[in-house]
Amino acid sequence: MGKENPAEKALNLIRGRLCDPTFVFRPLSGSSDSNYSKLKFIVSTSITEGCNNSILLLGPRGSGKAAVLDLVVGDLMEEYPDSVTLIRLNGLLHSEDNCAFKEIARQLCMEHHLLFSKMASFDENSQFIIAMLRECGLAHKTIIFVLDEFDMFAQGKQRLLYSLLDAMQSVTSQAVVVGISSRLDADQLLEKRVRSRFSHRKILFLPPSREEIDSLLEHLLSLPADSSFPSGYVSQFNEKIKSITSDTRFKDMLKTFLNANSTVNSFLKFIFRAVSSMNLESGLLSLENFKTALSSMQRQPKLEAVRDCSILELYLLVCMRRLEVKEQNSYNFISVMKEYKTIHDSFQTSDYYAQNVCLRAFEHLREREVICYAENRGQSQAGEYRPMKLLISASELHQGMRSHACCPAILLKLLDH
Amino acid sequence: MTREESSKVTRRSTRFSSSSVTVENPEPNPSHHPPTVSDLTFGEESITLDALLSNFPGRRSQILDLVRLIGPLDSPALPVIAYGDASTGKTSVVLQVFRHLNRPFVYSSCRTCCTPRILFESILNQLLLHRKCSSNGYASAKRCDKPSDFVNLLREALSNVVETLKSTKLERKSSMGKMVYLVVDHVDLIKDWDKGAMILQFLFGLYSVLKMPQLGIVLISGLSPDVYYSNVGYTDPLPVYFPEYSEEELRQIFLKNQVNKKLYSAFLDVVLRPLCRVTRRVEELSTTFSSLFRKYCEPLDDLAISPNEDLKRRLYSNLKPHITSCLNEIFRVSSRPHDGDTRGERRQKASYSCEKGEQLEMLDFHMSTSAKYLLIAAFLASRNPATLDASMFDSTGGMDNRKRKRKASEKSMEKKEMAEQEAVMKGPGSFPLERLLAIFQCIASVGDSSFGDDAEEEGEEEATGYDKESNNMMSDILLQVSSLCDANFIIKSGSCPLEGSIRYRSMVSEDLSLKVARSLSFPLSKYLYRR
Repeated sequence: MGKENPAEKALNLIRGRLCDPTFVFRPLSGSSDSNYSKLKFIVSTSITEGCNNSILLLGPRGSGKAAVLDLVVGDLMEEYPDSVTLIRLNGLLHSEDNCAFKEIARQLCMEHHLLFSKMASFDENSQFIIAMLRECGLAHKTIIFVLDEFDMFAQGKQRLLYSLLDAMQSVTSQAVVVGISSRLDADQLLEKRVRSRFSHRKILFLPPSREEIDSLLEHLLSLPADSSFPSGYVSQFNEKIKSITSDTRFKDMLKTFLNANSTVNSFLKFIFRAVSSMNLESGLLSLENFKTALSSMQRQPKLEAVRDCSILELYLLVCMRRLEVKEQNSYNFISVMKEYKTIHDSFQTSDYYAQNVCLRAFEHLREREVICYAENRGQSQAGEYRPMKLLISASELHQGMRSHACCPAILLKLLDH
Repeated sequence: MTREESSKVTRRSTRFSSSSVTVENPEPNPSHHPPTVSDLTFGEESITLDALLSNFPGRRSQILDLVRLIGPLDSPALPVIAYGDASTGKTSVVLQVFRHLNRPFVYSSCRTCCTPRILFESILNQLLLHRKCSSNGYASAKRCDKPSDFVNLLREALSNVVETLKSTKLERKSSMGKMVYLVVDHVDLIKDWDKGAMILQFLFGLYSVLKMPQLGIVLISGLSPDVYYSNVGYTDPLPVYFPEYSEEELRQIFLKNQVNKKLYSAFLDVVLRPLCRVTRRVEELSTTFSSLFRKYCEPLDDLAISPNEDLKRRLYSNLKPHITSCLNEIFRVSSRPHDGDTRGERRQKASYSCEKGEQLEMLDFHMSTSAKYLLIAAFLASRNPATLDASMFDSTGGMDNRKRKRKASEKSMEKKEMAEQEAVMKGPGSFPLERLLAIFQCIASVGDSSFGDDAEEEGEEEATGYDKESNNMMSDILLQVSSLCDANFIIKSGSCPLEGSIRYRSMVSEDLSLKVARSLSFPLSKYLYRR
């Protein structure tokens, strides 16, 4: 293990950085008006002054809400080592009230080295939590509740939110509830009794600016000039990164990518893809890496699906499209077969297959979700008679057939008329 | 065994052998070999990258992509999704890549793990090195059916495995690294599960929920990632796309593991192109090719011969009629049971279609005469409107109804077209049992003049009386009806809300019923109502 290729080591280092959100978001949190400072201010005042608080972190998926919160919590844990308890819940896992209370009780028991009973009932758990809140308040310990996917907790009766926020109304308790959601209207989902107990503090996470992206690129990709790498390699590598990032072609690529997805996470994925295809022999990144990464990130699944079709399947798709053009409001396999037969009768194509072969092709199309049943009812009826619909648009079909490897010319003609 | 099959077995067996290594290790004496972490690797000799690339023709870029995304030893990885159509080699490529890398991984397929609980427990069992056997009553290591429990247990199990991996690395210099990979196959099936959307979201978010860089996640899906988008959104994994094989790649696949490559290549020259136009799935093609190749070789005595041009031509002309018939025959593999509700029905239909293809000439369905009549009666009852029954089967007034045809006006033509379209959409009509029996009686009497003249009357009492009289033809009509139902020629549809009786529907196509009628020399077309 000791003798490692420096290129491989560099690759491992950069991949590790990209997979570690705290590393990524650390430099973005430097300035005083960053989300990091705002959040830290709010949470630390409620720790020092012993008050209750509630905050919502809102922003699109992958904009670093949870990562920034982790940074803040980590720093506060260092500053006030004995007076912070962290409870994490995730809406995907704990949206059910019973389950959520159990999980809170479990984490509280873990934290305070108490014995957790799996058999405890809902009431027992909720009483235990309220008692713990009071105890912690008296001992001047702050409990931070992190509710990831906050909008999921707002489904149903919102009993968890109500009891948490209600317990926080009392003077003795000392807790902070931080909700994280990708729905910007998350606070509108709350019931009246919950909303009135909520502080309505919101922190919005915006996509990074160009300057931030540029500094992030350098932060992520440049190797440290310490002793772990051969010094010549480090300067060579960093030189190469600089020349790539200042290239106008790279800037254009970055622009096209950010136009589609502007969040930090998708940007990280793009860089990850590029870095993972680094040539280990030369040990340097190249512009080519970024180009292939861009093309593999920008997929067009519907076109791919059309390109995967066999000729017979294309015939069926064209028939369905023609029926749609004829303004036939609904069609099923039998009417598609009729259209197929008329095409064959008028053009004498070589691809005329029996009905059961076509039915098989039809099933393939359905498995691939290029077509689907138009409605869910009528399941008792055999598949051939159930109304169908296309799941791809005419232009996608057209484009896909044009780029298909061996699409017969007549099909394209049939599609147009 | 033919060659395609043997090539198929080597390609497919990967999935089985890996699961037998990781899930239930079939070692004869498990007490002697307590499971260790190294059981989580592929278990066989690791293969070189070159061997891997040559094993999978046409999958070069996908393999390289996967290897790069998984990355060198001990380097963290973002989740990856491998997607592509059925039988494009997704699972085998992923598993063989892990064999090449010799890293510990856990493989669970949502095809075999058909509920969240089985899926979660299968993953945990493998990670906890738990083996189901008779001593523990084939129970799982942990009982877990909620995602929330799963996350806690998974975190615990993973950190254990990572710890042991670290310590084994110290004692012997094996290069397993300290990463564990989770491979979940057939993710698209989760969509049809109860609360599947939730489980999918959880699975896609698992990486960010766990926050453990030691876990690499590879999802394998038959559908492209865009079908999983929901209104809540998720951060999607890195996509690796497996396109359908091209014709050239298919040729290379089928030529692999062939004994006589020249002969087989000559065979492929002939059959590959036409069959590719119908489907490009390897598994379907290989079943068709195996029977075709047998036919191709029939005139040859020596299978090791390398054919010259003349021989090729002769073999081709010998095979040609078989290709055309093969093209119009359904492939004999049962279709992928994707949709639960139509599955049984479809399989039956497929087998029935095969039968039809084979027996087009003889058309003897090994069916009693009465069953044939019943089939025709059901067909008529589904096609003809019920109000016309009287005029159709009344011996005096039936036929001339249709004879006075007027020249249709423009408007009525349009109407007719609309009605026709509607009829196509609706499918065959439904009918009560009484009507079927009545029609059956009428046509049986017409078809076979030896029956009593009184059989023209309608009604159920008559039917039972008729039963007694003509026991030379059948034992029990109702039994025949139910067996036709079982064979899917007639299906039961929902009961009529007013009458409360079960209604039936005929699933027989017009061609087939015409053929059946011909075999009985029954004039079916006379009784068909044409709009």
